Amino acid sequence: MSVPRGDLAELRATVRGWCRAHVPADWRRAQTGVGGDEFVAFQQAWFQELRRAGYAVPHWPAEWGGGMSAAEQMVLYQELAAADAPRLVLAFVSIHHAAATLLTAGTDEQRRRHLPGILDGEIWVQGFSEPEAGSDLASLRTTARRDRRAGGDVFVVNGQKLWASGAAHADWCLLLARSDPAAPKRRGISYLLMDMRSPGLDVRPIRNALGDSHFCEIFLNDVEIPAENLVGPENAGWQVAQATLSAERGMTMLELAERLGNVGLRSLVDTCRRPDVTGRRPIDDTLVADRLAGFDTEIAGLRALCRDLVERHDAGTVGPADASVVKVYYSELLQRMTGFGAEIAGLGALAELAKPASSGWESGRWLLDFIGSWEWTIPGGTNEIQRTIIGERGLGLPREP
Amino acid sequence: MNAHSSELAVATPAGGPGAHPGTHPGAGDGADEELRAELRAVARDLLATAAGKDGGDDAQVDWALLAEAGWLGLEVPDGLDGAGVTVAETAVVCEELGRAAARAPYLGTTVLGAGALLALETTDGRDELLRALATGAPRLAVALPTGDAPLGAAGVPGTVPFRLAGSGAAARLTGRAEFVPDAAEAETLLLLALDEGGEPVVVRAVPGQPGLEVTATPVLDVSRSVGAVAAVGAPVEAGSVWRFRGDGRAGGRLLLARGALAVACDSLGAAEAMLAATVGYASVRHQFGRPIGSFQAVKHGCADMLVSVSVGRGLVTEATRALAAASSAHAAGGAGGIEEAAVIAVEVAVSRAKSYMCAAAVDVAGKAMQLHGGIGYTWESGVHRYLKRAALSRALFGSPAAHRARLARRLDADAAGRAR
Repeated sequence: MSVPRGDLAELRATVRGWCRAHVPADWRRAQTGVGGDEFVAFQQAWFQELRRAGYAVPHWPAEWGGGMSAAEQMVLYQELAAADAPRLVLAFVSIHHAAATLLTAGTDEQRRRHLPGILDGEIWVQGFSEPEAGSDLASLRTTARRDRRAGGDVFVVNGQKLWASGAAHADWCLLLARSDPAAPKRRGISYLLMDMRSPGLDVRPIRNALGDSHFCEIFLNDVEIPAENLVGPENAGWQVAQATLSAERGMTMLELAERLGNVGLRSLVDTCRRPDVTGRRPIDDTLVADRLAGFDTEIAGLRALCRDLVERHDAGTVGPADASVVKVYYSELLQRMTGFGAEIAGLGALAELAKPASSGWESGRWLLDFIGSWEWTIPGGTNEIQRTIIGERGLGLPREP
Repeated sequence: MNAHSSELAVATPAGGPGAHPGTHPGAGDGADEELRAELRAVARDLLATAAGKDGGDDAQVDWALLAEAGWLGLEVPDGLDGAGVTVAETAVVCEELGRAAARAPYLGTTVLGAGALLALETTDGRDELLRALATGAPRLAVALPTGDAPLGAAGVPGTVPFRLAGSGAAARLTGRAEFVPDAAEAETLLLLALDEGGEPVVVRAVPGQPGLEVTATPVLDVSRSVGAVAAVGAPVEAGSVWRFRGDGRAGGRLLLARGALAVACDSLGAAEAMLAATVGYASVRHQFGRPIGSFQAVKHGCADMLVSVSVGRGLVTEATRALAAASSAHAAGGAGGIEEAAVIAVEVAVSRAKSYMCAAAVDVAGKAMQLHGGIGYTWESGVHRYLKRAALSRALFGSPAAHRARLARRLDADAAGRAR
C-alpha cells in the first residue's frame, strides 16, 4: 500500500466521474426478470465498458491489461459499489480463478492463448465438484487417462461434474480429474483446461432453489483434451488448485462487502422506513431500530475485516484461516440481513417474483435474496468446513482423529 | 519489568506522531504502527509479570509502575513532559489491561483525566495538572454520565451530571454521578457540569471539600473501582471552572466517546484472552481419549469466538482512528473547534465498536466458561473475573442497546437527507 494518498484521491475522483458517465441509468429495473441471453449480452457489454476504462481486470499484471495496486483496486471497488454499478457476474471465474491459475501455474503459451481471450469476453466455468465430491473435493472420481497412441498426446476424460456455475454459457472449463487412480487421493489429480465445444460433453442445467438454472451438471464421455492443456505437472492438480483458489479471496470479498455496505444497507434502511398500511414505519419500533443498527454495525465490521484481509494479502502477512473467517462472517451476515429484510418487508416480499440480474447478493428483493444466500453458506467449502479450517489452521486446535 | 524499555516504547522523536495534530493518524502509517507494536509488547510483558507477582484474585498494577512505564503521560504533550502521542496508543494500553484483567486506575486517571484536560482551553491550572499527571502525582477521576441516558445528547441539559450556580467566588456545584471510574482513590476530581448559560464546563474539585462526597461503590467486578460523586451546593474554588476548546458540547461528546471506546478496547483484550485460554485448555484437556478441541462442537465454538473477536477488532480500530483524528483536530482547532460532521463520525464509529465489542466480550467469556466445563465455573479458574469485567464494560458508558438506538437515529436521519 505504498501509493501516496493524493494519487488515491485523484483515482477516486476519476472513477467517480467515470461511474456518473457510464453506469447505465435504471439498469436494475431493466435487468429484472430478463432471460439468459439478455443477461449475457448485458454482462458482456458492461465488461467491455469496464475494460475500455481499465477497470475490468485491475488485479492482473500490467502487461496483460491490469496493474493496479491493492490500494488502488480498493478505491475502484469502493467507488463502483458506491455508484451501484452492475457487478461482473458472468466473467467472475474467467477474470479471477482462470486468470489466477494461468498466471500462477500456466505456461507462457497458455497465458498468451487465453488471457487475451478472456479480455475479449471468453467465459470460463469451474469443473471441480462432483456428486460424490463436495466438501471432500479430493475424493473426486472423474478420470483422465493419458493416451499417446496414434501419434497424439491427449487426456481422455470420463465422469460427471456438478455445480458448474454458468456452464451453459461457458467457452472453457477449469477441470480437475483423476489421472492416477493408484496414488493417494491428493497426489493423483491433474488440472486441465477443457474446451467446452469438445465432443463428448453434455451440459444440463440444474434448477436451483430460486428457480434459476445457472448451476449445471457436466457429463464427460470420452472427452479428449490435448496434453498441452495440462496446467502444472501431471498429478499435481490438487496443489495447483490450492494455490489458485485462494488467490482472489481478498479483493472479491472486499467488493462484496462494499456492495453490502452501500446499496445493501441503503435498501435495508429504506425497507425499514417505508410506512405500512397504517402509516407506521417499522424503524419507529424500538426492536426493529435495534436490529437495523446491529446490521449497520456488522456491515461496518465486515468492511473493516475485508480491508484488513486485502492489506495483509498485500503485505504477505495473511494467516491460513483469514479468508475462512471472512467467508463465514460475510455469508452468515448476508443470510441474517436478507432474512431480516424479508421479515420487515412482510407479505410484500412474497409478491416480488424476480430480482435484477447483474446485481449483488442484496438486491432488495429480500425473500429472493434470503433464499439465494445459501449460495454463499454452502459452496466453496461449507461453513461447517470453514469453521473446522478456522479451528485447526487458524487457532491450532487438534485435528479430528 | 524493565523501566528503560518501557520508556523507549513511548518515547517520541521530535517531529514524530503527535507533533502534528490534525494529521490523520493510524491508517497505514508505518512508524505509528511500529510504535504501537512495541508498546503492546512491553505492556503485555509488564502486565503478565505484575499479574503473576500478585497471584491473588485480581492482578493489581501499582500506580508507580504505570507512571514508570510512561503510560500516564502518553497523550500529554512533549512540552508538558508527556510522550505527545495519540489516543491510538492509549487504546493499546486499555486493550492490554483488559487482556490481563488488571486492576489499575488507568481509565479514570489517564484515559478520561488526560483526555478531559487536553480538550480544555489552556490555563495554568490545566497545564500544571497535565504536567503532574505525566509524572504520576495526582490521581484523577472524571465524572461523566456513565449510564444510558446521555447518548447522543451530551451537553444537553438533563444529561450532564452537575450544575454550576453563580459565578466567581459565589459559584456552587450541585449534582450526582454514579459509577465514576476510579473515583474512590482519586485525589483530584474533574466534574462535567453545565454553567448558568447551559455551556458544558469541567469543574475541578477535591474529595472531602465542603459539600462534596465521594463514596466507593463495591461491584462484582473486583478488577474495577467505581464510586459515586455527589455535590450539594459545594463551593467552587477560584480558577477551578475550565472551559472546553471551541464548542463545549463537541468537547463533552468527544469525551464520552473516549470513555466508551476505552471500555471497548478493554473488552477486545479481555475477549482475546478468553479465546486464547479456551484454545489452550481445549488442546490439553482429554476426554474420550482425545483432546476436547478435536471435537467439532468445541472447535467450531472456538472458531465462532475468533470470528467475533476479528470483527470487533476491526470496529475498534476504525473507532480509534476516528477519535484520534478528531481529537487532534479538536486540540489544534482553537476556538474554531471541530466540525459537527467529524463529531458524528466519531460517535457512529464508537457506537458500533462499543455495542459490538462489549456484547461480544460477554459472549466470548461466557463461551469460555462453557468450554472449560466444570473447571471454568470455579473461582480458581478466573474465567469469572473476565465475565464480570466484560459485563461491567458492557454497561458502562452506554449499553449496546443505547448505542444502537443512537445509530438507528443516525441511519434514519441520513436516509431522510438522501431523500431530500
